[in-house]
Amino acid sequence: MQTEFKSTGEYVASEQLMASVNVAIALKKPLLIKGEPGTGKTMLAQAVANSLGKKLVIWNIKSTTKAQEGLYVYDTIQRLYDGQFGEEGVDDIARYIKLGKLGEAFESDEQVVLLIDEIDKADLEFPNDLLWELDQMEFYIHETKRTVKAKQRPIVIITSNAEKELPDAFLRRCIFHYIDFPDKELMEEIVKTHYPEIEENLLKNAMEVFYWIRGIRDIRKKPSTSELIDWVNALQLGGIPADTLMEKLPFVGVIVKKDEDLETVKNHH
Amino acid sequence: MFGIFFQTLKNKGLDVTLSEWLTLQQALDQGLCESSLTKFYYVARMILVKSETDFDKFDMAFDECFKGIRSDDEVTNRMLRWLDKPEMNDMLHEEDKEYLNRVEQIQIDKDDVEQKYKQRLKDQDSEHNGGSYWIGTMGKTSFGNTGGNIGGIRVGGSTGYQSAFQVIGARKYRDFRDDRMLDNRQFQMALRKLRQFSTKLDIPKTELDIDQTVDKTCNNGGCLQIVMDRPRKNSVKLLLLMDSGGTMIPYCNLLNELFQAVHKSNHYKEVKAYYFHNCIYSHVYKTPECENGDWIETEWMFRNLDKDFKVIIVGDAAMAPEELYAKDGNYRGPNGGYSGEEWLMRMRRKYKKIVWLNPKMSLVPAPWREAETRIKALFPMLPLTVAGLNDAMEILMKRV
Repeated sequence: MQTEFKSTGEYVASEQLMASVNVAIALKKPLLIKGEPGTGKTMLAQAVANSLGKKLVIWNIKSTTKAQEGLYVYDTIQRLYDGQFGEEGVDDIARYIKLGKLGEAFESDEQVVLLIDEIDKADLEFPNDLLWELDQMEFYIHETKRTVKAKQRPIVIITSNAEKELPDAFLRRCIFHYIDFPDKELMEEIVKTHYPEIEENLLKNAMEVFYWIRGIRDIRKKPSTSELIDWVNALQLGGIPADTLMEKLPFVGVIVKKDEDLETVKNHH
Repeated sequence: MFGIFFQTLKNKGLDVTLSEWLTLQQALDQGLCESSLTKFYYVARMILVKSETDFDKFDMAFDECFKGIRSDDEVTNRMLRWLDKPEMNDMLHEEDKEYLNRVEQIQIDKDDVEQKYKQRLKDQDSEHNGGSYWIGTMGKTSFGNTGGNIGGIRVGGSTGYQSAFQVIGARKYRDFRDDRMLDNRQFQMALRKLRQFSTKLDIPKTELDIDQTVDKTCNNGGCLQIVMDRPRKNSVKLLLLMDSGGTMIPYCNLLNELFQAVHKSNHYKEVKAYYFHNCIYSHVYKTPECENGDWIETEWMFRNLDKDFKVIIVGDAAMAPEELYAKDGNYRGPNGGYSGEEWLMRMRRKYKKIVWLNPKMSLVPAPWREAETRIKALFPMLPLTVAGLNDAMEILMKRV
């Protein structure tokens, strides 16, 4: 089995990013990925899992997610319900303990890649609540007095949009990588992995417009990689001739989404 | 050698802990850097630095410790620091900026400029701002930053480089530094900090904790036992007062961003925003245009916005002394019988938490700026930067 992460067919990683992933694996530390939206943070975990031939466990974080949910949930309602009808085994709490994503990753017999996606969406205390679990790779179920220990230490990848500062104690334990916005060369490669048969000229002109818009100083929401990919797709489907892109800005709404930005683009045009 | 690196990082203001340092040693032990300086640069950075805002500091420390390895004709960091003067940008007029933006489109004799530039790099030994020979800011030679010459070499900037020192030389991450001026996204992020401190501590327990109730009831043999908890709600009320006077015009974009950011942060219980011209007097305006008549009485504000409002005042505090001290110092509206200073003191008496954010604050005591010095004595004053806003949020949330 492959033990090093390399760029895959669907995902183009910069050399630094690959180095970060491999260092994180070697040092057995969680890898924290930050970057502009649309730079492929979430896709990275999928690519790592594919490249290493491991199963991917995704834990999507929302603003209401609590750390406990990743470990286990004690289904008290079910127990109450069962208790009302004198169901068998109500006194066995273990029946009502359901493992969360982290628990699932720990209990897995084979090593998995665990993605904790958009950790900054949760409450500010959230990362701190996971310190011990990520460090020791184990947790304790109070209700049943059982310790769940990782059979194979999972490869942990955490993404953050930098909406909130993460606590220092948490950061100290991570390997950090900041995904820079891809330069033209890398971007070309990225678009080509999505649309291998794209017409050279169309891509060239589309990229020119894209970086031109990103370069306008007053733009509030800069278009991201994923938006470029959508735009290129729209251009291809629409059969737009390559040489009219800069002049007519077809489907520009795909890459520029704010009204005020559209105006800015038109003014600069 | 590595011990020195650790010290230098600390000196540059990076909070590197021993455990991270040991992790780096472990990485070196495992041969993850493959005896390559560039690899070492990246590995050290990913382990020791946890925010892109600190990349620049790291680059500078790295440069200081390992600079013996670089070749001579490269731009020295010392020189880049001379050129890194964001305040110079403010001194340029809008049309000058337009003019500078065209720089890239104009072709010039590159070889000639490059040769002169290399020669000058060798000779130059001090900082130059203005002038027409040395490399510096605001000048007219073909090299340097924020200069007036079209088509020269711009020293400092961000281009795609590979090796460690080239990355450092470009100072790519300079714009991420959090002691630089804010932009709109960063505003919102900083304002969110007000939520961070909206603790559950000072609210009564009014919410039913279902899980605990059910669990307790089960353990209680089915006999209902209710557990209450505190609701998770943000109780922060925010009052934003912004100076919209003449001297603030260069910062109007910045203020607009702050205003937008405050309005987008829908997690506050209540948000009010008013404007004033130079100083707060008997009326505050509803719009940034500060039209007389389109206002509310400051007294009304005192009566209707209670003392729990957290107040952020944004202004350059650059009033003339009489605008602050005279009872008729408001030259474009009524004073209401009090001087500007007295109105500010009334603000202070009314509201428990007030901070003043100043986009062009002097970081050292500046007695020659009379009004600023006086206001600093009245309210905690902080620069309008990411770091400043974060500190301000902390002051606002501190419990008395």
